[in-house]
Amino acid sequence: MYKIISRKEYAMLIRDRRFHILATIVTILLIVSMWAGFSAYKIIRNETDFISKESRSHWIKQGSKNPHEAAHYGSFVFRPKSELSFLDFGVTSYIGNSIYLEGHNHNEPKFSQAQESSGLIRFGDFTVAFIFYTLLPLFIIFMCFNSFTIEKEEKTLKLMLSQGIGLDVIAWGKIEGFSKCLAWVFLPCLLISFGLVIIGTPGGVSFNTFMRLFLNTIVFGGYFFVFICLSVLVSIWSKSSRNALLILLGVWVMMCIIIPKLSANLGGFIFKAPKNFEFTESIRKEVLEGIDGHHSADVRLNKLKQTILAEYNVDSLSQLPINFDAIVMQEAEKHSSQVYKKYFDSLEKIYQKQNYISDIFSLIDPFITVRNFSMSLAGTDYKTALEFQRQAEQYRYNMVEKLQNHMRDYSKTGDWEIKVNENFFAKIPEFKFKKFSINDTITQNWLSIISLFVWIQLCIRFISNLKNFKMNDL
Amino acid sequence: MLKTKHLTKKYGERFALVGLSLDIEPGEIFALLGQNGAGKSTTINCFLGFVKPTSGQVYVNGLSVVDHALETKKYLAYIPENVMLYSNLTGVENLEFFSALAGFNYTKKELGKMLFKVGLQISANDQWVSTYSKGMRQKVGIAIAIAKNAKALLLDEPTSGLDPKASNEFSNILNELAKNDTAILMATHDIFRAKEIAGRIGIMKEGSLVSEIKSSDITTNELEKVYLQTV
Repeated sequence: MYKIISRKEYAMLIRDRRFHILATIVTILLIVSMWAGFSAYKIIRNETDFISKESRSHWIKQGSKNPHEAAHYGSFVFRPKSELSFLDFGVTSYIGNSIYLEGHNHNEPKFSQAQESSGLIRFGDFTVAFIFYTLLPLFIIFMCFNSFTIEKEEKTLKLMLSQGIGLDVIAWGKIEGFSKCLAWVFLPCLLISFGLVIIGTPGGVSFNTFMRLFLNTIVFGGYFFVFICLSVLVSIWSKSSRNALLILLGVWVMMCIIIPKLSANLGGFIFKAPKNFEFTESIRKEVLEGIDGHHSADVRLNKLKQTILAEYNVDSLSQLPINFDAIVMQEAEKHSSQVYKKYFDSLEKIYQKQNYISDIFSLIDPFITVRNFSMSLAGTDYKTALEFQRQAEQYRYNMVEKLQNHMRDYSKTGDWEIKVNENFFAKIPEFKFKKFSINDTITQNWLSIISLFVWIQLCIRFISNLKNFKMNDL
Repeated sequence: MLKTKHLTKKYGERFALVGLSLDIEPGEIFALLGQNGAGKSTTINCFLGFVKPTSGQVYVNGLSVVDHALETKKYLAYIPENVMLYSNLTGVENLEFFSALAGFNYTKKELGKMLFKVGLQISANDQWVSTYSKGMRQKVGIAIAIAKNAKALLLDEPTSGLDPKASNEFSNILNELAKNDTAILMATHDIFRAKEIAGRIGIMKEGSLVSEIKSSDITTNELEKVYLQTV
């Protein structure tokens, strides 16, 4: 029975000029943002590929030199753009794209797009995802706010009800009709983005990427469903179209602007993250308190010396078959890495707590749910950025360790003449960022999934309960 | 077919209906006369289940409307005073939609026939209702009611806005329906029309039925006199 209503709603909306104009505007915005996002993605991807290769060849062709010097020479690694990043830039625009990896130092990611480009990016990322989670709800509201109020005002609802049909059936019909109209905007965009993903992934689209796009569709579909139901419900409960529109616009401002902003600020307010300077400064201080390879007067250096001498059963460093300087430097590296890891972990915990606040708000605001989930699926969220930093640090540590160990094993203490060549540098594998699997992403977002599910369930409940709803002012 | 027993409806302190008892048999046309606010529309809304009685019972085809809100609507067709339709659907599409809701799937040809029967010019069938006059919309409303094949028809000032010819055609349609055993309740201001088509005429005042007259027992002039005295 609801099919009849759905067909009618669809036929009416498709003929409605209001729908034509809004759909055209949204479609143009989507196409522009997709085009802009994709070209930016391609440029950055090509640049990153090119510079990564160049950086790698610089590393290999740095010439024969002392291993420790090579560790100082270091190399650059770049956070690869994920295939879906053009749909949702997430936080990546504000986080550095590359890290300089060298011995002794734990460098922060540098060169974010926000640093590099003009004011446009500060204006906010005008991505497909942004249009989906911010503007499409508005589009839905404008389509649906008077879905029932106009029928009350025009008395067609009374005629419809007099034909012996329940209010819930009418509501379901309307929801389906609106969804079909929305599909005219949503589905072409989805198809185009799927095409772009195929074009933008030279090696062929992986199952992981495909699943992400698929989940994205479901998540946004659910989000739109919630907004359609909400608009229809408000329209049923409202006395006039004007009231319905005012209430829905109020809901939109709360959900899409105020609560997200509030939750982010509240998270940062309750769980304060150290400022960048404080963070690096406290790491520097704690590292200094440990062994420092360049200052042999240190007490702990002596202790290490005694241990090593005892191990090899010799009296002086010159009798050692290995290079003691390299051992000291590696010990220092180990120590500073531990300190760094400790601080990094604590920082991550703070961010996690901040995100918990946001997650809690996502239970009352599906906007936050979908925004976070979309970022996560696009691989442009904060977790992915932190994971990149962690993997880069791990890679740095392994690289430096290999160099120091070579120096330790193939030279004697005080010998700074030992050299390694191209063959050795090439043996250190290239950095490859291992992305989160789809399972990881789902596990990280369990609360979002539950929250969206609860919202959808609530909507279904409310609409189905309209069966018993008494219309008083017909 | 259409029956009320001591039907009372109170809005706050004001009585819209006071102990109204009606009984309209299949094939009978009953006209309710009365001023605005006399309770004619409230009576119709009680039959439709849109107004919940404060006390008393409403029955359609022997079923209580309060207990069987959806089922009783199957036996009813309703034409409001001012039929409002979906303005960017055509006349045929509107008729198709509403009869589909009632569970009837007519072909385009059958729908066209029905619109022809109620006197809508054929050229208007496929035009958007936004181009229709009030009378034309009213005709589509009548077609919607006919298409439902209902056992009882509820009319709220159905001929207001119809030209005399259309109004006359409408009377003929009602007579035809009554011959096929449809019970018809018509609220109206039109004393002449009431006398002409109704078998019985009830005059309402402040929510009660103050007099009930067989139309064959009275002339139009006498009816007018009674009406003016009562209200």
